[in-house]
Amino acid sequence: MRKTKTTLPVLIAGLFAIGMGPVCSADETVSHIRTASMLSNTCAGCHGTNGASAGELMPIIGGLEKEYMLTVLSEYKSGERASTIMGRIAKGYSDNELKAIASYLSSQPWISSPIKADAKLAAQGKQIHEKQCKTCHEEGGRVQEDEAPRLAGQWPDFTLLYLKECHAKGLRCHPRKMGKRVSKLSSDELKALAHYYASEK
Amino acid sequence: MAHFTRRRFIQTTGACTAFASLAAVTPTAFGKQAKARVIVIGGGYGGAIAAKYIKMADPAIDVMLIEKNAHYVSCPMSNEVLSGERSIDSITFDYKTLGASHAVNVVHDAVVEIDATGHTLKTGSGKQYTYDKLVVSPGIDFRFDKINGYSAEVAKKIPHAWKAGPQTLLLRKQLEAMRDGGVCYIAAPPNPFRCPPGPYERAAQIAHYFKQHKPKSKVVILDAKDKFSKQGLFMQGYKKFYGDMVEWVSGASGGIIEAVDAKTKTLVGQVDEYKGDVLNVIPAQKAGKIAHLAGLTDDSGWCPVDQRTFESTLHKDIHVIGDASIAGKMPKSGYAANSQAKVCAAAVVAVLNGEAPGEPSYVNTCYSIISPEWGVSVAAVYQLVNGGIVGVEGAGGLSPMDASDETRAIEAQFARSWFRNITADMFT
Repeated sequence: MRKTKTTLPVLIAGLFAIGMGPVCSADETVSHIRTASMLSNTCAGCHGTNGASAGELMPIIGGLEKEYMLTVLSEYKSGERASTIMGRIAKGYSDNELKAIASYLSSQPWISSPIKADAKLAAQGKQIHEKQCKTCHEEGGRVQEDEAPRLAGQWPDFTLLYLKECHAKGLRCHPRKMGKRVSKLSSDELKALAHYYASEK
Repeated sequence: MAHFTRRRFIQTTGACTAFASLAAVTPTAFGKQAKARVIVIGGGYGGAIAAKYIKMADPAIDVMLIEKNAHYVSCPMSNEVLSGERSIDSITFDYKTLGASHAVNVVHDAVVEIDATGHTLKTGSGKQYTYDKLVVSPGIDFRFDKINGYSAEVAKKIPHAWKAGPQTLLLRKQLEAMRDGGVCYIAAPPNPFRCPPGPYERAAQIAHYFKQHKPKSKVVILDAKDKFSKQGLFMQGYKKFYGDMVEWVSGASGGIIEAVDAKTKTLVGQVDEYKGDVLNVIPAQKAGKIAHLAGLTDDSGWCPVDQRTFESTLHKDIHVIGDASIAGKMPKSGYAANSQAKVCAAAVVAVLNGEAPGEPSYVNTCYSIISPEWGVSVAAVYQLVNGGIVGVEGAGGLSPMDASDETRAIEAQFARSWFRNITADMFT
């Protein structure tokens, strides 16, 4: 069983955050700023405690790179990024609140999915990765940049869902160069990639 | 937000802070070096989360969770047990990891009395405990008296299955034993009640079972209401997958059930009588029993609370969360209970540390699975406005009516992943 541990600095930060504002329940004297932990804890019902998802199709978001996460959340809010439900939820927060959420979740430890990847698929996926993906997704998808999220250890069902969406969009997939490459892969190859990244804990 | 001058702000703040520091030194010392003791009653979607998140935010607070049962059977996803899509084991959890990983002292006992003034409570096994803060998450109880001839005893033959566990299995067994060509009636309750889309997802799940095994059979929802949650999406899904197998009778069309005749398996409506093969009667509801015993309910049968902190407006230092609480615009759902528990936990930790409860943020997300590859959802993001919980305008809402089958399939998978995560949030 996986354990999710809150790191000490986060706890301390959380306590300080909670401690801000005067001690009184009268509305007029209370700070109306919602703390990062208060906002981010509402995500855990779907994405797991501190974003360490325990569910197949729900992506792990704890420990994702901050700028990347903020971009994604902002695109959900604006509608630029398609979604089933995240668009409806992201619209409930101000831009600053989305920043606070991205900041809080990015400071959480990344906890890879416990799933055992299919070894054959993973080996096949590795070859595709070496040829097509590694210039942006370095070190087996472990290195994160503001446009390249962590892929290593992500739930393969989610990675596959994202790849399929990108495949369907073709050149409209962002970034364009990824759309171009992904659209040339077969659905079996997409699955192999998803298993490869799942195997890289 | 009311306007206030800087000077007034400081004055008020000063006064409040002084009061809070006084309050902070009052808690009785507990054994070791615990800062304070919090007791949580009820280990469901609200209580388990409150206990865990208080410990996560401040390990120096001693947290005890008192829960009757050693195992928890989840209501969300229990409709899939009725259709045979999943086992009861897959919705059954224990408290071992929660206790061990977060140093929550889990006690399996029933609370029978709360002395709000003395800050003590008594349990069925005769133990007495003292608390600084009490969090009550008792779920619901039934108003059996609203339907003549129905009672906890009769429910052993005609299940409500609105608390998951043996009741779920009883209903499943009856559906399995039913003849092909039979009719299952679901009597849906009046508002407010636990899980507003639940009865309608149940109808779909039962129809899914019938379609595979008893295709001449029918599911009829006899509703106390004239409209229901996600109605358009449900009606669309019923039509698409089950055709005439599912029928909905609104309250105005005779759906209100006034009596049950257990012997003849008949539901007595205001106009018609409905004789069925399987009856599922979900009665009107109220806050769980302990909330009534402790004087935490008002005339509505539910618990009024300060919606910033979930502290009872009737008894100081007792917080009520989840289905039992009156939580503004939030529905009585598992996700709502989870979200309220976190708001409550943060407020409890703040106050026990002599600080002000922060500005709350709440979310509800609720999936319904109409067919195994066809799911729909409703979501809302909430904030506190003038002391009441309201949805943020422009956010939230339903799955679109015109979504593709592919999207519905993704939502059905998200529903199951949601279940994994919210239960992991509770029990690990």
